[in-house]
Amino acid sequence: MTVTIHVPFVAPDVETIVQGMTGRTGRRHAQLMRAYGTRVVGGVSPKSDSDEVDGVPVFKTCIEAVAATGAIASVAMVPPLSVLDAIREAVAAGIKLIVTIAEGMPVRDAVAALEIVRAAGVHWIGPSTPGLAIPGKLKLGFLPDVSLAPGPLGIIAKSGTLSYEVCHRLVGRGLGQSLWVGVGGDPVKGTRFGDILPFMLTDPSTHGIVVIGEIGGSEEEELAAAMSAQNCTKPVYALIAGRTVREGITMGHAGAMIQGDVGTIASKTEALTAAGAQVFTRIRDLVDAVATGVGKAKGEKACS
Amino acid sequence: MMLLEHDAKELFAAVGVPVPRGILAATADVALPASLAAPFMVKAQIPVGGRGKAGGIKQAASVAELRHGLGELLGKTIRGQTVRACRIEQGVEGMECYLSVSLDPTQGRLRVLLSSEGGVDIEAHAQRGALHSAVGAFNEHEAIAAASRLADSIASPARETIVHAAERLIAEFFAFEATLLEVNPLFIRPDGSWTAGDLKLVIDDNALVRQPRLCDLIRRRADDYPEMALKLNHGFDFVVVDPDGEIGLVTTGAGLSMQMIDELEERGHPAFNFCDIRTGQLRGDPTRLINVFQWIAAGRNVHSVLINFFAGITHLGEVAKLLVSALTAVPELRVPVTARLIGNGYDEAIAVFAAAGYPLRVEPDLDRAIELALAPLTGAQR
Repeated sequence: MTVTIHVPFVAPDVETIVQGMTGRTGRRHAQLMRAYGTRVVGGVSPKSDSDEVDGVPVFKTCIEAVAATGAIASVAMVPPLSVLDAIREAVAAGIKLIVTIAEGMPVRDAVAALEIVRAAGVHWIGPSTPGLAIPGKLKLGFLPDVSLAPGPLGIIAKSGTLSYEVCHRLVGRGLGQSLWVGVGGDPVKGTRFGDILPFMLTDPSTHGIVVIGEIGGSEEEELAAAMSAQNCTKPVYALIAGRTVREGITMGHAGAMIQGDVGTIASKTEALTAAGAQVFTRIRDLVDAVATGVGKAKGEKACS
Repeated sequence: MMLLEHDAKELFAAVGVPVPRGILAATADVALPASLAAPFMVKAQIPVGGRGKAGGIKQAASVAELRHGLGELLGKTIRGQTVRACRIEQGVEGMECYLSVSLDPTQGRLRVLLSSEGGVDIEAHAQRGALHSAVGAFNEHEAIAAASRLADSIASPARETIVHAAERLIAEFFAFEATLLEVNPLFIRPDGSWTAGDLKLVIDDNALVRQPRLCDLIRRRADDYPEMALKLNHGFDFVVVDPDGEIGLVTTGAGLSMQMIDELEERGHPAFNFCDIRTGQLRGDPTRLINVFQWIAAGRNVHSVLINFFAGITHLGEVAKLLVSALTAVPELRVPVTARLIGNGYDEAIAVFAAAGYPLRVEPDLDRAIELALAPLTGAQR
């Protein structure tokens, strides 16, 4: 008999600090995360004079914040050119999971950050992401409440807004999420689609995986390879945006650019299809397929 | 973003990298400086690879051939790109090598490729093992060490010159925070001199904020980099994807905007533009919306405007006020406007539009909003 050990990607009650909590964005999102149920136990702000914001203690450094609160997760709400320093500081303080939401982190900084988190065995979600959520329990970042609901779907997405749209419609069909991770639209990033697959495959509450991809890079192809290598038995539904994008033009996301034959919709569709995923071009078709596939399977299980 | 060859060469020449003498020509009767003499190369300036194979590069043995080549290339469409200008340059001779330095985004590592045989058939050289490859940490020191090791496998007296050229080129790759630099051909001569025959340079858009020379280039040459120039000047993304597009898009979020363009295309009605306005950054100022409405109003074939704001945080009542003041400020926009709004404050948004008396159709469902936006077009066709 084989025993599957379920290691969650993140614990729903993880103690979290917010780097940059006294800024406009940091304060607002810290409030919203707390309202959602996230245990925000501290904030970090090197320049702030106050020692608390909205009842949450504020520290000058991550080391002090971690020492005082025992936090192991951090959400960095700092400007793009400060993300690398924020990651360096958080990792040095012992943080094990860091989410960086800022858009516009230079690639060279991202490469340096990647070396730091890899060496320390830290999960980094970002850059340029709305974050992650375990609906009903935890939100690290700013995924919109209207799209969040507990349910059977694991969501991995390069695009924030497109995933909001898709999940909003799926929630409307009664299908919420077990875990939602926005990996961001940049070419170099802390966590890629393929990195999250093992967690979703072993998670007993995930019955289907929805992939929100887009043109550029090779992340969808890497995911397809991981699906084959890990004998993915859960249904995977993918939507890939940017079919009509011209070569050489960057569309908002730094990673969304086709160069030669790399990053094309054809390559991604072919790889994912060969690995057993269903790939869609219209949101409506994906939502219908998920509702039929996962929704029906769930219904049958409930009846048996 | 990929720079045009001419711009990459001017940037590199300014810091002392040897490139063939050349000028940018937008017309076939361009005046030739005395410093340029036959033979010439005529090279279409388009931001895509595979240009040589697609017929975008011509040799000219005389001024007459040069004019003829220019006439053939200017205005031609190559790999989906219209040739607006060509670089005319001095023909150069030497041993043709190949060097590329690039970021592997998956691993966050650097890849260096080197071959003593350059040219348009580099893929063929790769297949028969004449292209040497190394992967290492993403820094200048490692990259130069890798290039030097690769050069050892080239049994040629040119080795030292190749290493010297690689050192210079790799230094500039890092100085400009590029993600790809390809030099093909890299001309190596027996006297130890070398020339970057072609330069393909992809820069990191996110690093522009700390690359003043690149920002300056993009602003000076805004006509050739309209999307990036606009982003530098306005702080958000707007790309004209089809000058004859029928639907103007006012959208937030890159992925959703791309997806809407795809879905409109699938319905047979091309979008005019891509747009990621970032509603969270408006902060009570309608300027971005006014700009976008103005740019869309300038579209020669726009029949309908579709706004799509999926507001996670932003209050729709606030957004509605900004929309009304922006639409009022752009009277030249005369086509029907459909707004798909979703998020907090939907009812207040409806009330704001009603109070303003602006004839805006509001719809919370995206598919229905698309149908509404397409109605003027599908009606017109019947």
